Amino acid sequence: MASSSRPYHRSRNPTFKVVKMRKWKMTSSPFLCLLLVGSLILLSTYENDLSGQDDPTDVDLSAGILLAPKAFRAAAAKVLPSLVTIDSFGGVGAVQGRIGGIRRQGEGSTTGIIVSKDGYVVTSSFNFIQKPPIITLTTSDGKKHLAKPVANDNTRKLTLLKIESEVESLPVPVFLAPADVEVGQWAISVGIGFGDANPAISAGIVSAKNRAFGRAIQTDANISPANYGGPLLDIQGRVIGVCVPLNPKSTSLASGVEWYDSGIGFAIPLNDRSILEALKKGKDIYPAFLGVQAKPAKLDGSGVKVVKIVNGSPAEKAGLNKDDLLLQIGDFPVQDMTQFKTLIGRFDAEQSTEIRLLRDQKEQTVEVTFSKPGPLPKKPVTGAKSKSVPDKK
Amino acid sequence: MNRILANLLCIVFGGIGLNAVSSEFCVADEKLNGFLKKAVDYALPRTVKIFGASVGRIEGYGTGILVSDEGHVVTGNGVFLNGFNTRVVLNDGTTLPASVIRRDPSLQLALLKIKASTPDFFQLDEKPAAQKGDWVIAVSNSFKVAERTEPLSVTLGVLSLETHLTAKRRRDEILYDGDLYLIDCITSNPGSAGGAVVTADGKLVGMIGKLIESTETNTRMNYAVPKNLLAKFLAGTLPDKTVESTSEPSGKPAELGIRLFALGGRKSPAFVDRVQRGSPAAKVGIRSDDLVVTLNGKTLANSADFDVAAKSLVPGKMTVIVVKRRNKLLRFEITPIEKK
Repeated sequence: MASSSRPYHRSRNPTFKVVKMRKWKMTSSPFLCLLLVGSLILLSTYENDLSGQDDPTDVDLSAGILLAPKAFRAAAAKVLPSLVTIDSFGGVGAVQGRIGGIRRQGEGSTTGIIVSKDGYVVTSSFNFIQKPPIITLTTSDGKKHLAKPVANDNTRKLTLLKIESEVESLPVPVFLAPADVEVGQWAISVGIGFGDANPAISAGIVSAKNRAFGRAIQTDANISPANYGGPLLDIQGRVIGVCVPLNPKSTSLASGVEWYDSGIGFAIPLNDRSILEALKKGKDIYPAFLGVQAKPAKLDGSGVKVVKIVNGSPAEKAGLNKDDLLLQIGDFPVQDMTQFKTLIGRFDAEQSTEIRLLRDQKEQTVEVTFSKPGPLPKKPVTGAKSKSVPDKK
Repeated sequence: MNRILANLLCIVFGGIGLNAVSSEFCVADEKLNGFLKKAVDYALPRTVKIFGASVGRIEGYGTGILVSDEGHVVTGNGVFLNGFNTRVVLNDGTTLPASVIRRDPSLQLALLKIKASTPDFFQLDEKPAAQKGDWVIAVSNSFKVAERTEPLSVTLGVLSLETHLTAKRRRDEILYDGDLYLIDCITSNPGSAGGAVVTADGKLVGMIGKLIESTETNTRMNYAVPKNLLAKFLAGTLPDKTVESTSEPSGKPAELGIRLFALGGRKSPAFVDRVQRGSPAAKVGIRSDDLVVTLNGKTLANSADFDVAAKSLVPGKMTVIVVKRRNKLLRFEITPIEKK
């Protein structure tokens, strides 16, 4: 009965509905115009019937909301040609034990999104947790292709695949920039995970932006292994992001699965082509590592003081010293220790940025290039002699 | 009329820049939030709470729907129905003893009877009430939140998919094998099974089923048993799946002449070990070390899937087999022969 201890309830109280209604009117898109026109037509037809009633307005707006399912279906239908069904064969076997209540992870068919017409496909890395040696893709025209993984983004938990056979004109969907997404707007998740070529859909709203170190968009539409790798859509069928399991507190591949279908789901925006271009070169992306041990600054609280620099780390290469007071990383001022960690979390390994610091009462700026977190350097063995067991005589 | 005009204006100009104004006076009216009132008012008197025996950590309660005016209740089958004191609580708080008159092991349904006339009930018919994307509301007693006269909980979602899939119940190998409606309201909670799933205008879509896990994703599913299957269950005309699955579809087993590698048990990929000489597989050119990717329209994740797909073949009836050889997928049309 794991269920009783886990928050499965999703609240959909009337206030949610209000937000949805409001958003719905604010967006001026062809799709919505269609819906609005629809509701206007309904309104005009209802007008006569309802003239005897006190307040016909509730019927008008209700009619509009009741039309939303048509838009959900249209949005899902629009993206369908750009979706692929991914099947995998073989692998190292399931990770032992349950993760998020799921006994065997990464089994079954999953969804991918075409990101270039020559056959690059993005999906969630979770789908390959068993490291399958053989992967096939089925495009929406029913053709089956072999595919191979090109690279992984370990910070966003994405895998880029390439179709191995010759393809030329695959349909690429429209990817939205996070700046064009608003909290409260409709969000529709689509996935092929239940073993049916026809995708399942779930509707909700955008719950938050800039989650997981600014990388993800949060939604209350259901996100689960059934649609990891599938798109989160806006009401017009444009891609807000690709659905992945995420938990900002962990980098493990399966973390975030424990929140499946809980009302907390994440999607990674794909409008930033630089990530895709890096992955296309076969380069895996890792979280950023700076290599300083720091403590809170004593004075007014802002900034952190460097206590120790890791040998050979990006911090050492950039010329950071013990007792430097770090004030700003990139565009973000350093406030305290917790925020300092999340600031570094915003970067990927091999990205460069400027660090503004205070050293000997003087402000200066250094350029730093983050590396990926390596294995911790071994401590030199000291005092081994004194601890050794004396030889028997 | 003025109100209509005002709202017309607000709808038309809402998108252009009167957001602040429009959002204020469009949503100020509380009545506007009640667009599901009709559905809720219709569903609540037709849905009941059920209390019975609790065994260990298994909950002793559930939800049910009234399906006749003579006190017939359909719910999810469960051990809570096995005790001597099963009680049904109607929407008005009336508590009545109930007896189980039929169960279905495949769809995990139970039919109860209470000695009372129930003029408010869901008419079960074969006509589907909703399609993918439509709003649905689920009415249930999840986690036993409602006691006695308290109304049941109502959650909103959409119908995610109408599909046929196999699923398992916890660790058991009892399979749910039938059509179902996946919904995106969270109904995989204790006590939800037996609840009503209705459309935004109150039409019954189906009944929340027992907690099952998808055999594809191994996740707990939120779903409804479709109304037409409930109707068959009520009429006693559901086919017995346990008998059907053991009989061969054609009566005669088919053969392709393929033997798979047996390494790693039935969970290993379906690699071809040997092809029998003169067999259908040899004739079309299937070789050792080919990986069988699909057979008869089914994707084969492992050799166990191959065995299942091979059983569905009919001797003399052509089918398609797709194999992976080196870096290519090869598609063959193959006609199985009768197994000797």
